[in-house]
Amino acid sequence: MAELVGVYAASHGPMIVRNWKILAPAEKESLTSAFSELGRRIKASRPDALIVISPDHWVNFFIDNLPAICVGVGEAHDGPPAPWFKEFPHRKMAGHPPLAEHVVRTALERDFEPSVSYKLALDHGFCIPLWKAGLDPLPAIVPVIFNDLEPPLPSVRRCYSWGAMLAEAVASYPGNLRVAILATGGLSHSIGEPDMGRIDEAFDRDCIRRFENGDAPALFDFLNERLPGAGNGASEVRNWVAAHGAARGRGFELIRYDPIPNVYVGCGFASWKIG
Amino acid sequence: MRDYWLSKLFFDLQSPAVASEYRADRGKLLDRYPLKPEVRAAVEADDVAALSRLVNPYLLRFYFLMAGMPEADFLRRIRATASTPAGASRG
Repeated sequence: MAELVGVYAASHGPMIVRNWKILAPAEKESLTSAFSELGRRIKASRPDALIVISPDHWVNFFIDNLPAICVGVGEAHDGPPAPWFKEFPHRKMAGHPPLAEHVVRTALERDFEPSVSYKLALDHGFCIPLWKAGLDPLPAIVPVIFNDLEPPLPSVRRCYSWGAMLAEAVASYPGNLRVAILATGGLSHSIGEPDMGRIDEAFDRDCIRRFENGDAPALFDFLNERLPGAGNGASEVRNWVAAHGAARGRGFELIRYDPIPNVYVGCGFASWKIG
Repeated sequence: MRDYWLSKLFFDLQSPAVASEYRADRGKLLDRYPLKPEVRAAVEADDVAALSRLVNPYLLRFYFLMAGMPEADFLRRIRATASTPAGASRG
């Protein structure tokens, strides 16, 4: 049977790449240190496959057909198409169709209805953490896209349930496989909104405390009340909630948090307790 | 509520080839999209406030980046929408 060997989260703001040259030294140090530690932990867990939960930033889907949640079951995924991210070293990334298809089957058996894609391009949401964490060679990637961008969005509670279901799918996978989960995005940020560039550090720190103590219902209440005021990008905390569900709400260890003004994002990195 | 064709225009402009065509002849490319007259006028006027009410904020941000508006200029304009009655649509 497969084993869940790690559950992680990382911010993914595109300015981490696009603005890298103009970041302040302290900002670079913070991000480099955080990604390095994240990468160290992921590599130490030796995953054969990595389920990555991230939004799609208008690369694969549009408002003519916008899934709430989509699982990528393809044999390979394309690299990020953005012209500013040509440095990313992988034009193709291996998928893991048997695990991805098992996730889809498990989802349907448990009354979830994911969209399914055989052909995805993975944008910066996936690729910045994979790249900056130094995961090379990459494990096989099973992308799970959450719609965190265009309302109506999946509920926080449903995202938690999705994460719990993903853990069940891993546990019931009939193969000898080490699987980790990486949620990307968040914490607070605002893009294309009147408060663009604002980082809600108070929200971020409150949010982190609630993830740390592991009380899922209290986390849901907090997020339902405070997410709408933390910038549209904070909606990506839903992915962290899914990771929390995968770890059965046992709480997490913060790797690093810093508000990074030149990235526009409250940048957080964490790994969950799964033992 | 999103404006479908404006959203489609911004979405399509993620293609470098389409973006290049747009930069070369904005009017010719806009002719392919059945935009309402007031929406087309807002595009032609780089009216951040008007467009912000019609598309997803990420697409709005992408569009003005692609169109070459300096970041400081975009930030000033989008932040100014906070003081307008309609504000900007949240995403």
